[in-house]
Amino acid sequence: MKILKISFALLLCAMVSSCSNEDDNTENLAGQTGTLIIKFDNGVGDQDFIFGTSYTKSNNESFQLSTLKYLISNIALTDDEGNTFMYPSEKNVFIINEANANNAGEIYVTLDEVDAANYTNISFGLGIDQDRYALGAEGQGNFLTTAEAEGMMWSWATGYRFTRLDGTYSSNTVTNEALNIHMGSVGTSVDNYNEISLSLPNTVVVREDKSPQIHVVADIAKLFDGETSVSFDDGYAQVHVDATTTGVIANNAKGMFSVHHVHNE
Amino acid sequence: MKFKILISLGLLLCLGCTKNDTEIAYQPVYLNVEQPSNFPDIVYNLENNPVTEAGFELGKSLFYEGKLSANNAIPCAFCHEQAFAFTHHGHTVSHGVNGGIGTRNAQPMQNLAYQSEFMWDGAASHLDLQPVIPLTSDLEMGETVGNVITKLQADSYYQNQFKKAFEDGAINSENLLKALSQFMVMMVSSNSKYDKHVRAEDGVTLTQIELDGLATFNNKCASCHATDLFTDQSYRNNGLSVNPRLNDLGRYDIFENPNDIYKFKVPSLRNVEKSFPYMHDGRFATLEAVLDFYDSGMVDNGNVDPIFKRNDGTLGISLSAYEKESIIAFLKTLTDNEFLTDERFSEY
Repeated sequence: MKILKISFALLLCAMVSSCSNEDDNTENLAGQTGTLIIKFDNGVGDQDFIFGTSYTKSNNESFQLSTLKYLISNIALTDDEGNTFMYPSEKNVFIINEANANNAGEIYVTLDEVDAANYTNISFGLGIDQDRYALGAEGQGNFLTTAEAEGMMWSWATGYRFTRLDGTYSSNTVTNEALNIHMGSVGTSVDNYNEISLSLPNTVVVREDKSPQIHVVADIAKLFDGETSVSFDDGYAQVHVDATTTGVIANNAKGMFSVHHVHNE
Repeated sequence: MKFKILISLGLLLCLGCTKNDTEIAYQPVYLNVEQPSNFPDIVYNLENNPVTEAGFELGKSLFYEGKLSANNAIPCAFCHEQAFAFTHHGHTVSHGVNGGIGTRNAQPMQNLAYQSEFMWDGAASHLDLQPVIPLTSDLEMGETVGNVITKLQADSYYQNQFKKAFEDGAINSENLLKALSQFMVMMVSSNSKYDKHVRAEDGVTLTQIELDGLATFNNKCASCHATDLFTDQSYRNNGLSVNPRLNDLGRYDIFENPNDIYKFKVPSLRNVEKSFPYMHDGRFATLEAVLDFYDSGMVDNGNVDPIFKRNDGTLGISLSAYEKESIIAFLKTLTDNEFLTDERFSEY
């Protein structure tokens, strides 16, 4: 029994010392892949996002939501040597739906077969870019059906809804008026696709035997009080296909994401 | 995390090896549980479970012991980190074995000897019984007490340490829980700036803004956050909007008494600067968000405590910007760095 324990302790020591060699340049990562989880966590300022809860914004307005969804695509990771890993295009589009969140309010995006590397940056698009749209309805794979079922499509000519918020708002003049932000690009005439690039607070180590997690927080308040502050009373309670209002919301949305922390396990 | 556990496991095994052959005997060295002069009396029955050096050490080992969980990797300390007043740093709700995610925010662990009921809903009416709840929860440690006992019985460190800690030396559920309580009742946080001010120790005084905050606090908050434990230990519905994802009914789950819907235990505010996020579901990340909520965010969810009713019938505690700022300055005087770094409670 004692011998067993000592040998176990020795084994642990061996494991410990092998871990410390990890940063050596000698490590050969060619062909190795791992799984990476990106956790999307919606908030409003310094509060967790909760359906049906009223949040205050500028202009003495408040809002509460019953739907909160957005499309994420083109997730790419850049490693400490400047190489970029782009997740395979046909799988690289996701619906982040608050209704699917776990108890902690997190929606998981699981990327499998990610190249093993030490990643320092993540980028992704909010919405669908014109290249993907140009593939036509038949070029969208299953995602078109999924998006339709989730209410994230207009007809094909108009395209995808990138961001969907449904709820009500109150202001100095109205109480519990409808609030519907259904915005995306508009066919090929308005392009509201934007990419967000975020440096990681510490390196994300993807390996065959490691499943790191990137915790991304989306501050919904920034949609209305971002680079531009908008007023619901002033035309921003119903945002659909108008080139101006959708552009303002899309531009604000660029600033709503941040990486809260990273887990390497 | 796993790496640390492996090291500590390795160390434990090494200790086990070296101490194996020495004579093990029950020779109790009693430890005194502090009774700070500004605290209510101890309510934990120490006569029934006097704290000894060996019992405290055993309780501490168990607190940091992965074997208390189904996958041997989620000790109590996983969700109760010392630097954050023994809460799960930054987590709204906590993660457990096999990716389980709980429904409530991990509460701080401090000054438990002076309280009679535990958990957000008071599900544990005795400190000795509290650990059974997280230990057996599928979302937390996912184990059974019986299985933990079997694992500990096979471990030479525990074979020895239970003999040192208890006269009968048995590795059983009673001694397991008593040892954990011995560790927990010693966790006293009573040396914050506020405490020293109240007890007029070391010439510590509060600044003007801290004193202003204390005065407002006494006027507007202390009816619930009462005594120097900063809780009246009651259960109240404070008008949080209901989170439909969790639909947590709070104390109602204990007795199914309709009057208890959405009631949660008034939390202590000690080390509150470090124990963020706040509320039973961790929805508020900052103290500013908490005070904004009390000032203007409360909703009538059907059973709000009448203490929150303003004269005009609306709900809330009106607070000016300076009142909020000064209350927060005062709350930060409740941070007890001696406690947060006390090596008696540290893993290493």
